[in-house]
Amino acid sequence: MARKVREAAGSAEDDVNLTPMLDVVFILLIFFIVTAQFIREPGVEIDRMEVNNKERQNPLGILIAIDSSSEIYMNKQVVPMSEVGFRIRELREDNPKGRLVVQADSEAQAGVLIDLMEVVNEVDGLGRVPLSVVNN
Amino acid sequence: MRGRASRPSDEAAVDLTPMLDVVFILLIFFIVTSTFIQEEALGAEPPPPQTNAPSNPAPAIIVYIDETDQIRVNRKLTDISAVRGGMERARAENPESALIIQAHPQARTGTIIEVRDIAYDAQMERVNIVRSAG
Repeated sequence: MARKVREAAGSAEDDVNLTPMLDVVFILLIFFIVTAQFIREPGVEIDRMEVNNKERQNPLGILIAIDSSSEIYMNKQVVPMSEVGFRIRELREDNPKGRLVVQADSEAQAGVLIDLMEVVNEVDGLGRVPLSVVNN
Repeated sequence: MRGRASRPSDEAAVDLTPMLDVVFILLIFFIVTSTFIQEEALGAEPPPPQTNAPSNPAPAIIVYIDETDQIRVNRKLTDISAVRGGMERARAENPESALIIQAHPQARTGTIIEVRDIAYDAQMERVNIVRSAG
């Protein structure tokens, strides 16, 4: 009997019930929207140091890299030292809360790093500038 | 019209398929763009601002890194493995002293990070990283 009734209902009735899947997909969607952080990566490979006293930086916001030839990179572009402060302010508008991390190559010149830390301190008011180290 | 009215009530469901398509596209977009970058970092102090730099009367331990990455703790040439001992000895003499890591502009960044890490290990307080004039 039941079978006969189903057949009589026509082909539109053959659809799978999508509502539970839709629920799951929505939950995934909301998870990814909430965790999405649009970070502009410097886009250079750097050689990090291994240290004992490190701290996980969460949430990340702004990344500034100094590569092994002591060029400063932000958002996949070389940035001269005089423009770094301006660029930080620009990125801060998109990401007011994320932490700023300097990725300094271990072969970079100390002078560039120290000048950069000075700029970061001036613009972003950090008393301690986080320098990226080996992550494990 | 009469035929439709006679259908059972579960026919009233809205067709969700187009919304599901949109939601899937959004989901895929966020999955693709979400980059789970993890960074671990060591905090390093920038040089103090020059405007209010009083001639610091408090004694300071000076770790100098020259352009060939040789380290001098209070002017004494020290191997990287002995820097901690040198710092602690200098602090024992003057417990109140601050630590200044002074690096030649041509020194390696890695050496500064290493020395700053040692200073954390030795629990030094009031550390500053400055550049030497040369």
